[in-house]
Amino acid sequence: MAPLSLWNRSLQFATATSLLLATGRVAADDPKPKPENTITIQLGDPVPVQKFEHPPKFWISDVTDRSGNPQPMLVLKERGGIFLDKQPTAILKESLEQSLKAVNLLAADQASADLVVRVYLFHFGLASGSAMDFFGKVEFSGMVKNPKTGESQEVKATGTSIANGAVRKKNIQKNLQENIEAALRDATRNFVRGTQLKDAVAQLYKPGDLSAPPPAASDSH
Amino acid sequence: MRRLVVAIALVGLFAAAASARPKDQAALYKSGEAKHFTTAEGVELSPAFVDYFYAELRNELTKSKLVNEVIGEGEAVDDIDAAKSVVISGTITEYKKGSVVKSALIGFGAGFKSLKMDADVVRRSDKQNLCALHVHVKVDPRWNEKVMAKGAAHEMVKEMKKALMEGAKPPAPEATKPS
Repeated sequence: MAPLSLWNRSLQFATATSLLLATGRVAADDPKPKPENTITIQLGDPVPVQKFEHPPKFWISDVTDRSGNPQPMLVLKERGGIFLDKQPTAILKESLEQSLKAVNLLAADQASADLVVRVYLFHFGLASGSAMDFFGKVEFSGMVKNPKTGESQEVKATGTSIANGAVRKKNIQKNLQENIEAALRDATRNFVRGTQLKDAVAQLYKPGDLSAPPPAASDSH
Repeated sequence: MRRLVVAIALVGLFAAAASARPKDQAALYKSGEAKHFTTAEGVELSPAFVDYFYAELRNELTKSKLVNEVIGEGEAVDDIDAAKSVVISGTITEYKKGSVVKSALIGFGAGFKSLKMDADVVRRSDKQNLCALHVHVKVDPRWNEKVMAKGAAHEMVKEMKKALMEGAKPPAPEATKPS
């Protein structure tokens, strides 16, 4: 076999180097969850729920992720990645249940509930903001349904929070955690204290009419 | 020596009290609700901008201490508190993208991105208009539009604070000219 020319050798070296670099970059771009880069999002104190004229018992039946995010637990990809310890749907369900339970508005099970809420989660985590800070956003909508009459109404809720940016990874993690917790709290509050929920409850739940049969399809205005 | 120490301590105490006074000032309103701003026809801004501006406006309102509590859009307020609650809504009336070339060649603010917005602050209980705000922000065209939202929110709350503080002041006694 004839010895390789200098040109061929350098070409091989360049190819090998670029392949190695590319592999390294792919590995760096794909962060893995570890205990040191995982954050726990909690609501903290329950959010005070608004007062209803006829307080019903709610049941959160299911939370569906409609964000279209392939990695819902990955909050931040840069700097080795920051992950959530639970699925966003589980975190949201927990926070809604916690707030409703604190004021005794959570039913023991779905069968005993006056109103069943099916939640659709559209956004949980960071949204695009200015590069100087973290913009946390939680957005969902709840389909409130009266299982007895079959009527339902949509209630939308959004929570936002802006936290300072940081340079050190430890501070980034801390600020992010506080930011997402604040956005979650804000969204939960927006749901349980919103006029949309008040209107939905007033329309769907009338304790006096509970024994009445489901209304026939007609123009109800 | 002892007198000097007492004097220094007194000066320190007065300074601390003077600096603490503005922080302890009670907020003008109990709660404030910021709504998502609408965009006028022809304004080419993404929905993400409006979302970010809404978040920044709420953030600035919290920082300003103009209201005790910043509530989310569409949240219920007790009837007792409605008179001490304000709602801020507005429209983005004009947005010019700016030109990096113009900005680099001419300078002096030429080619800057420009954003104009109008807002109304109304009292929740009787829907009385407390003030009308007009804000015009100009930023370098190379900057992210979210930075512009940050500046606009800051300016909006500054104008609002100024207008509401002036409105809250008791009318000055009329000066009588000696005849």
